[in-house]
This record gives sequence, C-alpha cells and structure tokens, in this order.
Amino acid sequence: MSKIINDIRETARQLLAEGKVDVVIGYEKGSLPLKATPCFVHSSEGVDSLIWDETCENNLATYAAKTPGKKAIVAKGCDSRALAVLLQENQLVRDDLYIIGVSCHGVIDQRRIGAEVGEILEASISDGKISVKGMEGDKEYLFTEVKDATCRTCRYPNPVMEDLHIGDTIEVAQGAAAFADVEALENKSDNERQEYFKEQMSKCIRCYACRNACPLCYCQECFVDCNSPRWLTGGVNRAENLLFQAGRVMHLAGRCVDCGACSRACPQGVDIRALNRKMTKDVYVMYNHESGISEEGKPALNEYSANDPEQFLVKE
Amino acid sequence: MSQNKIGSVLIVGAGIAGIQAALDLAESGYLVHLVEESSAIGGTMPMLDKTFPTNDCSMCILSPKLVECGRHLNVRTYTNSQVVKTEGEAGNFKVTIKQKARYIDLEKCTGCGACAEACPVKVDDEFNQGLGKRKAAFKQYSQAFPNAYGIDEKNCLYQTRGKAKGKDICLKCVKACQAGAIDHQMEDKEFEVEVGSMILNPGFKIFDASRLDYYGYGKIKSVITSLEFERLLSASGPFDGHLVRPFDQKEPQKIAWIQCVGSRNAKINNNYCSGVCCMYAIKEAVIAKEHSHIPVDTTIFYMDMRTPGKDFEKYYNNAKNNQGVNFIRSRVYEVTEAKDDSGDACIRYSTEDGKICEDQFDLVVLSVGLEPGDSSKELAKMLDLKVNKFGFAELEPLSGVNTSRAGVFAAGAFSGPRDIPETVMQASAAAGAASALLSDERGTLVSEKEYPPELDVVGDVIRTGVFICHCGVNIGGVVDVPSVVEYAKTLPTVAYATDKIYACSQDAQASIKALISEQKLNRIVVSSCSPRTHEPLFQETLKEAGLNAHLFDMANIRDQCSWVHMHEPEKATEKAKDLTKLAIVRASMQQPVQPIFMSMNHTALVIGGGVAGMTSAVSLADQGYEVHLVEKDNALGGVARRFSTGFRGEDMKAFVAGLIDQVSNHPNIKLHVGVGIKDVGGFLGNFTTTLENGEQLAHGVALLTIGGQEYKPKEYLYGQDDRVMTQIEMDEALYNHDPKVDNAKNFVFIQCVGSRSDENPYCSRTCCTKSVKLALKVKKKNPGANVFVLYRDMRTYGYYEEDYEEARRIGIIFVRYSENAKPVVSKEADTLVVTVTDHVLDRPIEIESDVVCLAAAIKAPADGKKLSKWFKIPLNAEGFFLEAHMKLRPVDFSTDGVFMAGIAHSPKNMEEVVAQAKAAAGRAGVALSQDQVESAGLNAFVNKRKCTACGTCEAVCSAKAVTVDMVNRVAVVNDALCKGCGACASSCRCGAISLRGCTNEQIVEMLNSL
Amino acid sequence: MGEIQVETENKKYEPKIAAFLCNWCSYAGADLAGVGRIQYPATIRTIRVPCSGRINPLYVLKAMANGADGVLVSGCHPGDCHYISGNYVARRKFALIKSLLNHVGLEEDRISFSWVSAAEGGRFAEVVKGVTERVSTLGPNNGIFKVVDGGAADE
Repeated sequence: MSKIINDIRETARQLLAEGKVDVVIGYEKGSLPLKATPCFVHSSEGVDSLIWDETCENNLATYAAKTPGKKAIVAKGCDSRALAVLLQENQLVRDDLYIIGVSCHGVIDQRRIGAEVGEILEASISDGKISVKGMEGDKEYLFTEVKDATCRTCRYPNPVMEDLHIGDTIEVAQGAAAFADVEALENKSDNERQEYFKEQMSKCIRCYACRNACPLCYCQECFVDCNSPRWLTGGVNRAENLLFQAGRVMHLAGRCVDCGACSRACPQGVDIRALNRKMTKDVYVMYNHESGISEEGKPALNEYSANDPEQFLVKE
Repeated sequence: MSQNKIGSVLIVGAGIAGIQAALDLAESGYLVHLVEESSAIGGTMPMLDKTFPTNDCSMCILSPKLVECGRHLNVRTYTNSQVVKTEGEAGNFKVTIKQKARYIDLEKCTGCGACAEACPVKVDDEFNQGLGKRKAAFKQYSQAFPNAYGIDEKNCLYQTRGKAKGKDICLKCVKACQAGAIDHQMEDKEFEVEVGSMILNPGFKIFDASRLDYYGYGKIKSVITSLEFERLLSASGPFDGHLVRPFDQKEPQKIAWIQCVGSRNAKINNNYCSGVCCMYAIKEAVIAKEHSHIPVDTTIFYMDMRTPGKDFEKYYNNAKNNQGVNFIRSRVYEVTEAKDDSGDACIRYSTEDGKICEDQFDLVVLSVGLEPGDSSKELAKMLDLKVNKFGFAELEPLSGVNTSRAGVFAAGAFSGPRDIPETVMQASAAAGAASALLSDERGTLVSEKEYPPELDVVGDVIRTGVFICHCGVNIGGVVDVPSVVEYAKTLPTVAYATDKIYACSQDAQASIKALISEQKLNRIVVSSCSPRTHEPLFQETLKEAGLNAHLFDMANIRDQCSWVHMHEPEKATEKAKDLTKLAIVRASMQQPVQPIFMSMNHTALVIGGGVAGMTSAVSLADQGYEVHLVEKDNALGGVARRFSTGFRGEDMKAFVAGLIDQVSNHPNIKLHVGVGIKDVGGFLGNFTTTLENGEQLAHGVALLTIGGQEYKPKEYLYGQDDRVMTQIEMDEALYNHDPKVDNAKNFVFIQCVGSRSDENPYCSRTCCTKSVKLALKVKKKNPGANVFVLYRDMRTYGYYEEDYEEARRIGIIFVRYSENAKPVVSKEADTLVVTVTDHVLDRPIEIESDVVCLAAAIKAPADGKKLSKWFKIPLNAEGFFLEAHMKLRPVDFSTDGVFMAGIAHSPKNMEEVVAQAKAAAGRAGVALSQDQVESAGLNAFVNKRKCTACGTCEAVCSAKAVTVDMVNRVAVVNDALCKGCGACASSCRCGAISLRGCTNEQIVEMLNSL
Repeated sequence: MGEIQVETENKKYEPKIAAFLCNWCSYAGADLAGVGRIQYPATIRTIRVPCSGRINPLYVLKAMANGADGVLVSGCHPGDCHYISGNYVARRKFALIKSLLNHVGLEEDRISFSWVSAAEGGRFAEVVKGVTERVSTLGPNNGIFKVVDGGAADE
C-alpha cells in the first residue's frame, strides 16, 4: 500500500474521530476494473476502503456541494479548481470544507485501452505499468501511453488550495497555456470541422451523463429539461444535440476547469472536450482568464473590461 | 399682483406650443383652459409633411401629443373659440371666451363622417391650402382632436339660405347622422373663466405671396407656396402624397424654390428673416426627391443659406453633397409663365457675378415667410401688449417669455418667427413661468384620472385583439394590410383582427376600447409604427378599457418595414405578417405588470452657474422647489461675465450681476461655488451627487447647464499677433477701452473660424450677429473707420436682419469668401494684411487692418463626457448634449429626471439661453411636482425554486439592483434600483432570474414561431 | 422556421434572419433608417430587447437550431449603453458564442454582431444589406444546424 493511501486513510480517520468533519469524500475500488468510484466515509470504520491511484478519475467536487454538513474531500488539482469555482459561486462554504490535497500524475484513459483489448476483465497497476486482461486479448501499457488526454495538457496537477497536502508535489513547467489540440482542429477547414462535429453531435443520445459528471453543472433545472421555455422542441436530433452541447459549453464559459469528467462519462464517446477546450482557449486568449485557480477569482463572464477584443463584430 | 391667486392658466392657441404648455401645466397640477380658434387643436404642424432635420413625419410625432392633450383630465379645450375680454391682474384674471356654434354636438358626434358624405356643399379646403375640397360639414384633418365634425355656417345651405327664412333647406346632414348630433339651432355662447396666468401662442400666418406680383403667385398655376407644397407631399394631402402639379396632375421633374418671399424685404416693411424657410426648403427638396418615383431635379434660389440650428448645417451639406439638391446664390427678378403650353414657370435671376439667367421649371415653390396673424394682433391689442413694428409681440429683454404685462407669457411665433423646437422650448418655459407665479395654488383645481378597475385576466383563455394600421398610405401603400389582418386571424390566441386607417387616431382608440369589452379581448397587438413613440398611447387606451397596460405589444411595420421596403411590397407584407406574429406571441405570453412607486425627492440640482444655470435655478426656486446650484469655477456667471451688451442692447454686466444677486439671496437656493462633482448615483426622484469636497446632495432631478467653450483659433495668426482677437476678446477690449481697438481705423471681421468646417461641421449660430453688432459699434463710434466683414453666408436670422441691413447702409463692407478660398492673414513688416478673394470682382483684395476679429466657433463643453457617464446621457458627434427628441423634447434627456439648457445643448444667443433655461426649469418642475415616481415595473424577477444563489446576476448588474440573500440562498431584486436591462437574465444559467415583458419564455416562443 | 421555405423554384433564395436589437440604440437606429426611407432587404425579423445585455447566447443557438438562415445581434456602441454596461457584459458572451460556433463549422457569416447607435440609420441599413448579402451567398442553413430527424441520426 502506498504511503499516500495510508496518509489519506489516517487523515480521514483522525478528522472523523475528532469530529472535525461529518464525512470524508474520497475514492474506493470500483466494481469494474480500472475504475475507482467515489465513496463517502462517515465513520472511522470505513476509512480503510479509501484508495488513491490512476483510476481515481471522478471529479469529487461534483459531490461536495450536494453533501450536507462538514466534509473533507480528497482533491486532485482539477477537483480543487472546481471547488474554487464552487466557492466563488456560493455553492460551498470554505469553513465546512477540509481539502485533502493530492498531486495527480493523471488518470487512465480506459476507453483507449478498451478499444484495443475489448471489455476489460481484469487489470493491475504497478510501477507505472498497467497490465490488462481483456475480452479480446491481454496487454501491458506504460501509464504514459494511456494517460487521459485531459491530463496530458494539465497545468494544475497540484491542488490550487488545500488544508493538507499528502505526498509529493509535482513540478510544473511555467509558461503560457498550450492548446495544440484546439489548434489542430482550428487549422482544419470549416468543412472539415463541420464534418467532425456533425459526426460528434450525431453520436450524442442526450443521456446527460456529461452534465451529471460535471462538478459545475449544478442548476436545479437544466435548460434542456425545462418545459417553459421550450429550449428544445424536437426529439433527439443533431441540431438540438448541438444546441444542448454548445449551450452547456456556453454555461461553462470562463468556469470550466478542464477536468475531462464529461468526456470520460460519455457512453457514446462524444468528443465533448473539443468544445470545452476551444472555450477554455478563447477565454484564456481573449480575457487572460483561467478558471478556478484561486478562491478569490471570478468567473470570466461575471466581469468585463472596456478593452475586451471585438474581432467578433460584423465586417463592414 | 393679486393676492388672491388662482391655480389655473389660460392658453390661447392650440398649436404645438399651446399643447406643450397645456400638458406641462396640467401634469404639474394646474387646471388649463385651452382656447383654439379653429375647430381642432394642432395648429400648423399637422399640415406639414416632414420636419427637419430628422425628417420625422410631422403628424406622427404630434399625434400622441394631440391625443394626450385631448384626453387630459385637466385640460379643458375650447375649439371654435376666441378670447373676447380679459380683466384682472397677474395671479387673478377673468377671461371671457366666445365659442362659436359648431352645430354638431361634441358629446354625441362619433366622427363617423356620414354628415360630410351627405353634405352637398363643396368648398376649398383651408387645411389643404385650397388644393382640395371639403364639405360644409367637415373635420379639419383625419387625426384631429376633437374627433368630431363641425358645420361651416358660411357655406352650409341651411345656415345661409334656410335658417333665417325658417325653411327646411337641405338638412341632409341631419338625416344622415345616426347619432343625432347635429343641431342647426346651436348658438354662439360666451362664458367666463378665472385664471391666474395666461400663455399666448396664437401662432402665425404665412406671407401672402400675391402681394409680390413679380413672383406670379395667383397668376401662374405652377407657382405655389411652400405650405401648399407640404400638402402635396403629405400622405394625407389632396393627392394622397402623390407628388403632382395641382392643376394638371403632371409629375414635376424640375422644381425650384425661391427663398425669402416676404422675408428680408424692407420695401414691404418685412425686413426680418423668417428663420425657418431655408431649412424647410431644403427639406422639401430632399423629400421631393425621395418621394417621387421619377428623378426630380431640385434647385433652391437663395441669398444666404441660413442653417444655424442644431444639426441643420449637416442637413444642408447632405442635401448639397449627397442628395444632389442644387443651390444657386442669386437674386430672382421675376417669375413668368413659360411661353410654351407646358404650364411651366420661368425664373429670371442674376447670379452673384452679375450674369442674368433664365430657367424653366415644372413647379416653382415660394418659400413664404411668417407674419403675425390677424388674431394675434387683435389679442395683443386687447391685452394692451407691447408689439414691435412688424406686429409681433415684444418680449421683455432677456426674459425668454415675458410679455410687457405681468402674468402674461408668450410662446411660439407670437413674438417672432420660430421653428418647432424653439416653440416647444418657449412653451415649456412659459409653463414654468406660470407655474412659478402660481406655485402656492398648485393642485387646488385639478382632478385625478380614475381608471376603471383592472380586469383580472390571469388564468383566462387568451383572447388577443390585433389591429393593423394603414397609417394613411405610409403602411397601406406598401404592405397589403388586409392580408396581414387575414393572416393574424389564423394565429393562435387571436380572437379578433381588423385594420385601421390611423390606429393612433381618437376614433381608432375609442374603437379599440369598445372592442376590448365587446370581444372580451385580454391581449392587444397593434401593428403600426414604432413602439418607441406610440406604445404609451395604446397602453393608455388599454388602461381606460380596464386592461393592464402590459397585456400589449406592437409590431413596427412602418419605420422598420413599409418605409424601408418601399419597392418590395410582397416581401414587406411577408415581413409585416411575421412581425405581427412575433408581437402576438409576445403579447399572448404577457402577464399583468403592476407599477412600482418610489419616493420623490423634491429638490433640484443645477450643475453649472452660468446664465442658463442661474436662470433655471431661480425659476425652480420660484416654483417652490429647493435648488442646489453647483459651479466648479470660483465665481458665478460663466462666459456671460465677459460680455458687455446683449443682442438687443441689454447691459449684460448688470443682467449677470442681477442674476447672481437673485441666486445668492433666494431662500430656496443653496450655492456650492468653487467645487466640482465627484460622483453621481441614483435615478429620477432619488439622485445622490457627491461633490469634490465630500458633501453629498440628495435631489430628485438634475439640470445640466455647463455651457461650452470658445474655439481657440489655430489660424489667421491668432496667438501670434495680439491684434488678432476673438469676438469675446474684442468685446472686452472695447469695453475696457483698449487702445488697440480704440485707436484702430481698419477692422476686418472673419466669420466661420472653426465653424462649418470638417472638424466642427456645424454653424455656431451667434457669430454673424455678434460680428455685425461689433462692426456697428466700431463704425458708429468712428464713422471714418473702414470695417469689413468676411463671411460665407450672413446668418442674421430673425430681427437681426435689421442690424445687417443697417450695417450695409452705414458703409460696413461685406465680402463673401468661399469655403475653398479662405482669407489669409499675413504680416508685412508690422502691418497686418488680410487677403480675400472677392466673389463679385473675382480677384484677391488686400486689406490692411488694425484689428482682425475672428468669429471663433462655440464648442461643446469639456465636462460633457463626465456628465454623460454619471447621468447616463448621450452626446452627439460634436460632444453637445443629445436631447430625447430634436423637435418635441428639446430640453429633456432620454434619461428620466435629467434636463439640459444653454450652450451645452448647442450654440445659441443669450435670449435663447434664457428661454431654454426656463424651459428646462419648467420641465424639471413637472417632474418635481409629482408626489411619487412611478416605474412601469418591467423589472427583473426571481424564480426562487430555480435560483442557486451563484451570484452571477449580482456581478453583472450595473444598477446594483440584485443581491444574493445568503441566508435564504436566493437572489433578490431591488425594484427601485432595477432599470430592467436584463443582463442578469441573460447571464443566469439556471433560468432563475428573468425580466418582466421580456422573459426567456417569450423570446424562445417567438423564435419557435418564426 | 416553419412555413417560410427556402428556394422554391421560381423565387430567388431569400434568407430569413432573426435580429435582436436593443431598444435604445439599434432599434432606434432602425427606426431612423425608416424615417430616412433608407431601403434595405426585407430579410430580418426583429425581436426588440431592452439591451444587448439581455441577449442570452442560447437565443442565437435556438434561432439557428430552429432553422434561421442567420442571426443579427446589435446593441449600443461600447460606452453608450443606456444601462451603463449591458453591452460590455454581453460582449464577452457574443465573442465566445461566435467563436465556438465557428469552431464547430458554422459559417462565420451566419451570425453577425454589430454596434449601431440611435443616430446611425444609414449604417443600420448598410449592416442589414451586408449581412443579407453574405447569408444569401451561403444559402440555406443546411450545415451543422441542419435538422436531422429521427433519433440520434447517423449520417
């Protein structure tokens, strides 16, 4: 057992025993291989189920606001950023929150593995190597080969705020954010992009798993579920799928912390992140804004500057 | 002055001045008796087609005011009436009014027109300048108030032939009238009203062009007056707006205007400039071109092009440079009938260089001047008012509106030719002056409007009534209105749909009201013109019918459809249908909105302590309101401190000192001199202004009177040689007996320095007169002096024409230069030499001069931008304040509770500044007189169930009206602060905060219906 | 967009453009174009809103998903907002939705944003002319927003 897991458990045990928190939100081993699931530990008896590894892909901030009382939460960089946004938006009270920070090297992209070995039957991780037994064969991967795309571009592997840090921190190269993935798409022709997104939008079945996985989709009633106004009128069709997806991205504009939870949650493999990443890039480039990097910041659309760029205006 | 004052005012003349004054006074708590000689209110404005410089349709902008005035509870309108006797003094007059028999009962007449249809007598229609016919039973014009017919006793068969002999001759009207409204036995009646003050605005008459036989008016059919031309252009005119010659219906292709017909003419003792003709001629030329479907060649023959009003110069330049109107500076000798049989007219004229030319036109329009009407003269005589030599009332110097008699005020052309905004300004100023006189009696004689209880329609089946307006031919000429009506009938919720010739007319309003109850309509849609102008009118009708005013929407199928798709009738019709559908969808989803009342602070803040600011402050203080007067300079008086004499010879030093004395000693005025403003917050009724010294002033309204600045010339050696000076500097030098000017023999005045240029494309209005005054002063002092005025157009409008004439008479030399060949000032050794190309001689002349006086432009105030931010008020391109409406709201900002006066609005002379300052005080007084501020209630509102308390709404609200209640975890809107912009609603991801009247539900359904 | 259909055989294709105009500037500018009788194509269907700040970016998506050929959004020039900052608040949303839609392959010219003041009647007409021309060139809204019915339609 790694020292990190041990420290997490001991911290949780102590917090619960001292009555500092009512619940600890962390990860436990899931029923499927390579997929940890969130768990809620209410008493010291439960702390030993807590784990920490490259399968802890959920953004636990999603559960923070919905969990009443004082809570401790195991937070990666992206979880902490989501927590920061939630704090900015009055969805959490800092005093009710104990952040157990853990630096994260990234999570595993199971879809990538599944594509090669079929349904994953068994898997084990050790020393940066992942051995997988699948329906269509076995394979061993280096973690770096199957690291989730989100994590490859992560600029905040260390929590941006925390009450306690467990384990080492990760050194991050300083510098401007890079958006090679977005640029690759941008460099394609309008037609090529349109074809790409037509295909993506055609795949969406509007199960809303993306929305449910998102720590920042916390509306009481999502616009797509609303009867009045009737934002969506037809059945599931591509135009309305785009209305939903683009609408959701607009709602995440200047708020999205690029955790990738939406893409990982999608059963259809829709490239949702392609939309969110574009938005993240635009907000970064136009307004020099990164979401959730401090508790004090503001979502980008809650602010403006008299000098905001105006390239969007009609040509005259 | 009477101690026994009466809270009521007599207004004589119900043109735009009378209407404006009546509304201002009635709104601020006085009972108004409005006396009109003709059978309907409106005056001259309804006859005009469009108004300059915005080309607004005259009838369209006036119509809401007609209705508002006509139905105002505290305006008693007497048509066909005249004042025959007055007695008493300021504060308490007894006025005898004679009302001529109309022979049709106003109470019973529905305005259906059956009497006119049945009437066999056809006579020339005065309203159409005799170009069309009307019956002896007639209504002046279709939108007239009262919306009732009357019988012209001079032409009625029964009245002229039957009545005296007791014979039942004709009486067809009686048979035709289903309402039983006709009463041929009606008699004239006389009655008395008691009033505290009088406002006289009986208007003007146009010059009778037949008095100048060389123009051929009355002899040559193709020679008409400008007012006749207005009727030709008008959609409601004798040819339905089809531009044709009245006598042969030929469409004119070549039209000429001759300026100054009856104006600037000493031979007939009309040596004043009528001020409005240059602009209306340009407007008529531009509109004629737009109106006609064949190309029209337009030429204006003029002496000086006088476009000194706000935005006039731009209008002129546009006509000249973009619209292709020809301008010929000339003298017209005569107009003769063309020798061919064309019916055309020939104009013989000489150009500036003395060449004599002749040209033939299809139509010649005489730009006739303005004269005092006969009834104006009688009125002045009856009241023993001072009049000038032309018969116009003479106002007290620098009073703006005071006649020679206390308690009697004048507005509009009664005291001289005036355009519409000046007339409206004077009307508001006169109303303010009357209000100041009678402030103790405010509210004593008025009654309040009672609306029927509001019908509870919540939960009822939606029954939408749809009214599609033809607007004469404005809409109906392009859009297939009946098909829009048929289409509307097919749409969901529509229970009733019909068309209206003019939806805004009194009869249409009455019919809408009746239909609401007959058809049980609970939503109303009107497809007509712009809601920006007409929404309040229709909403009033809803209220009168017991419907909440917000169960309503308008589709703009005129300004944004028929007028802009004139050549695509089918597409325009499709668009009109769609726009109507959108309005129906929005209205059908509209819920009743209740107004919100907020407190009114009855204190005014006046910013700027020049003549305008001090005049406004005194007027408001006299009206009984407390006033804070803030002046950032260390002394009051503004630029006027540097003036010696006014344009009518007034002692400016004494005038300014008098004003300073008044504001310093008035118990209602608190001075804040030498301190600027740091910040402004709030809104009508509840402003808070923080001064630089930290003091906070609470006030209900604000008047911005911050003046302007004199252009510092970069040209003509200004600043390099002290003999080159601006007008103000020369005035000071003369006053101080500066040897530079006292000993000078040669004076050169250069006009348009920094005005009418690319940089400042406007005329500074006052400089021509000012230069003439200064030139006269030096010439009279030293008759041997050589005085030159170098000008582009001499713009000595109004009575200043006399000064210009005198100046020429006593030997002041006027040399015109063109924009492209400006004079040059050079220095040879120590001699100043001005070189100018003379247009008559066509060669440069050199003038050695001792003094060069530059008519430096008047520029917008430097602080305009700051005030613009603080009060959320707009500036025009040159930085002057932009009024809410160029014609009819000349001192109001579009922001409620903020008013303007003086140079900061546009350049003007002192007399005009005073009038405008009083007008601003009058308008501000109307606002201050209200007990409470009423907000329409179209505010943001929160659905608590959906709100997540994220705070986005709070972050984006510039009015600081939304806050998140963290205890209940919900956003809360402060209705007093909410401005209804909806930024919160568009930013709310959860759809929890919305905007009344513009909900997501409505917009989405509108998009779904498209 | 319901009943109006594109490109019937005889008629030249006429786009239909949903226009959101703020009451104080652009709507007034459109009125001014009318007063000046400045002609422009009858392609826009105007929805009057108090302020460009009221315009939810979802409206743009909704209009396009409903089949509009284009969307025009116009408000007061920055600094001129009747409500002080409504257009500043809106400006970020407009920039982002425009860029996002362009990214998913919606033709740039379908969605147009402009600032038109109450004094710019002529400019308003020019803007509508320009937008209409460009949308006409693109033809009907048959790209990314084309409605493909019947469940998660694959192509």
